[in-house]
Amino acid sequence: MATAPDNKNVPHSHRLPTTHREVQRTFTKLSRQSLVSLAQQWLSKKNRDFCKPYLLSDRNDAEDEDDEEIYEPAQSYEELQETYRELATRKGGRREVLDRILEGDWRTGISMYQLATAEIQYLLDHPNALRWTAKRLTKIANVRSAVTDMEVTNDSDHLPRFQAQTFMSNLARELTPLMKAHYLMTRIKTSPMTILRVYIHDSPYSTESSLAADTSSTDSAKAVFFVWPNGSPFVYSSLATLTGQVVGDDGRHLRDMVQQAIPKAFSRPSARYQLTSTNFTTKSLDALLTYRGPGKSNAATGGWSIFQDHSFSQNALDFITTQRGDGRDKVGAEKNTSNGVTKPGPGRPKRVAESTETPEAKRRKAVAAGRFGTSAQADDGQGLERFEVRIDDSFPSAEGRETVEGDTSNLEARTNTKTKKGRPSLLDRTAEDLEQIQSEEGWVPNVRVSFQGTHVFAGIRQLVEEGLVDGEKMPGWMTGEAGVTIGAVKEGRIRSKGGVPGI
Amino acid sequence: MATIDNLDADIASLQARLATLHAHRTNLTSVLLSQPHLSTRLQAPASKPSSNTDPALLAITQQSTRNHSNIHRACAGVTAYKVRDPDPHAINDGAILGVSIDVALSGKFIETYHALLNWVESNNGSKTLRIHKHTIPPCIPLQALANKYLPTAGKNGDEEVQQDLVRFGRSLRKELVSWHLRVRAIDALRKEANLTAPKPEYTEPHKVLNAFTSDDEDEASSEAEEDDAPARILDIEANTAARQVMVTWSDRRTAMLSVSKDGRVEKAVCKMRDGARDAEMSRKALGPIGGLVKRLKA
Repeated sequence: MATAPDNKNVPHSHRLPTTHREVQRTFTKLSRQSLVSLAQQWLSKKNRDFCKPYLLSDRNDAEDEDDEEIYEPAQSYEELQETYRELATRKGGRREVLDRILEGDWRTGISMYQLATAEIQYLLDHPNALRWTAKRLTKIANVRSAVTDMEVTNDSDHLPRFQAQTFMSNLARELTPLMKAHYLMTRIKTSPMTILRVYIHDSPYSTESSLAADTSSTDSAKAVFFVWPNGSPFVYSSLATLTGQVVGDDGRHLRDMVQQAIPKAFSRPSARYQLTSTNFTTKSLDALLTYRGPGKSNAATGGWSIFQDHSFSQNALDFITTQRGDGRDKVGAEKNTSNGVTKPGPGRPKRVAESTETPEAKRRKAVAAGRFGTSAQADDGQGLERFEVRIDDSFPSAEGRETVEGDTSNLEARTNTKTKKGRPSLLDRTAEDLEQIQSEEGWVPNVRVSFQGTHVFAGIRQLVEEGLVDGEKMPGWMTGEAGVTIGAVKEGRIRSKGGVPGI
Repeated sequence: MATIDNLDADIASLQARLATLHAHRTNLTSVLLSQPHLSTRLQAPASKPSSNTDPALLAITQQSTRNHSNIHRACAGVTAYKVRDPDPHAINDGAILGVSIDVALSGKFIETYHALLNWVESNNGSKTLRIHKHTIPPCIPLQALANKYLPTAGKNGDEEVQQDLVRFGRSLRKELVSWHLRVRAIDALRKEANLTAPKPEYTEPHKVLNAFTSDDEDEASSEAEEDDAPARILDIEANTAARQVMVTWSDRRTAMLSVSKDGRVEKAVCKMRDGARDAEMSRKALGPIGGLVKRLKA
């Protein structure tokens, strides 16, 4: 077969040998349950064309029948489906299914489609496996029709139109001259989003042999994930790294290439889009759906979360003001009391557990509930693992009421010495920022605060409840209400560009 | 074993009973507290100076505020209220003007949305409102509405801006209600086409295997291909804003419809199973969304 460079995508049906590193890496991570369900999915009628298993009819007659064969090839698809159905009902080890897939039924190779679905399955099983950056598709203002752009009419559309087929063909048109890639786009039943996986094949060829060949090359990540939450202007992007894998410059560069192609694929004549940063990066997909998702929660995080569930505004026909029974959960009750919306009912029997708390601890809990609302619970699965701010306020003067702890004498020295290495941080001040700072009075040291942990805001909430952080004097950005993971603080508030938050 | 089961059943029924009684009690409480002149009647015999800390009085005032606000919300649809931002660094000491929009459909209040506004006072003493927080889903053009009705002055802040909060609330409510109406209309269409509403298994996300949507109608489509029975609608899908609707038939015909905000099918592209356009069908699809299924069947 001639191997001339071509202008095609990598099709679903191209197969990788089962010993290929990507295959091994992906498949060994999956659970038994996931493997079985994947196999069943591959065997369903519409996927058979690109997930061909090794059947008895495939066996070459010339080939000697190997007696040491562990897995007898199946006669038909139906027989295989039955086998996996049986495996699904039975309990057993993960290895059993894994070996059956890789050494038995798909010994001739794992197709690109199979690899892609396996990787997406892993992502759904472990929603905190990757680090995601949320971006927004923003319309570039049209100079000529700036007025009509923002008009709200009966048939105006303010979100980019998302039509999977059109988008995919546009994206492929943008990318194929630059690289070969395999695309898989799928909607997810369990959460409101669409996933696109792009497997980057950095080669001028799109043949099967060239796919299998490049195992020897770099260890960098080959796949990029993009997630569109339904009905919102956001895009989350992530490089599919595995634990311990380094993101090489190559990988990052390829991801950027795909990322740049995305707004172009969305654009239509007279409606051009660009990707803008939303200052939000996290590992948790659930948190992303809360802070940059399709629902009501985007611009009502932190203490404002009481507005999105019904703890602040009951149904307009609900006239009951007293607590509803004692079986109601404690959180709900506390939340109500602290917001001054409903006071505890008279003579409400107190729980034993509550009465052991000192009044001071109870007050702190109430303060925390008032500041954090229903958000920042340690077990809500929406943990942000990193939150960074830069303080742009001038240093409190000597007569100021704030006392500065610690030795500040060498602060200036430290800020002046440029010992930092590596990539410039997003928090580095731009020339514009510096100019603005210099024009103000007072000394503005370069202070950055960074919070890290499994769930930063739940941690801060706990600190407030324990009395280590004063819940009443604590600035609002410490409750997570700004909805960013990186930001600059000015006059005690996270700076924003203006405009309506959260959309 | 039987006794344990019996006991469990007993406990469950007792708990159910307890819950009903609790609900009944709270209901009665609020009815009692809503009695007119109750506070004056309570005060009269006591004859001591009315203290605001009296729990009975507190409960009464609380109930009457709730009654008031509920009546306003139920009748007006858009109501304003004041809240305080607990952030010590908030603008204007955290004074916030809230606008709440209640969406009611077919005799039920289904959802309440909030837009929370703060304001900055300009040099000449006029106040300009800004949206501080809100719970409006992103499929509603909030930014565009805010630009139109709540414009803020540019960086220099010299020019006079005209803000119209009333029209802002009105048009925002219109957007929200029409969105809910469209979603409801599409649900009705699904019911009309005998499609069971897709209830995604949100309950146990980790237990759901095969979360890929495309494999769902697998059985149905393959089985329907063979028989010669009249084609039926396999799926009616809409995007979040309910502005684009896609209809799929069992004989692999498809229709893409674009719906305007007031619920009319404005544009339609119907395709035959070989991918050719079906102009007649596309013409038939145009019109109010309510009768779509009927029109497509005719």
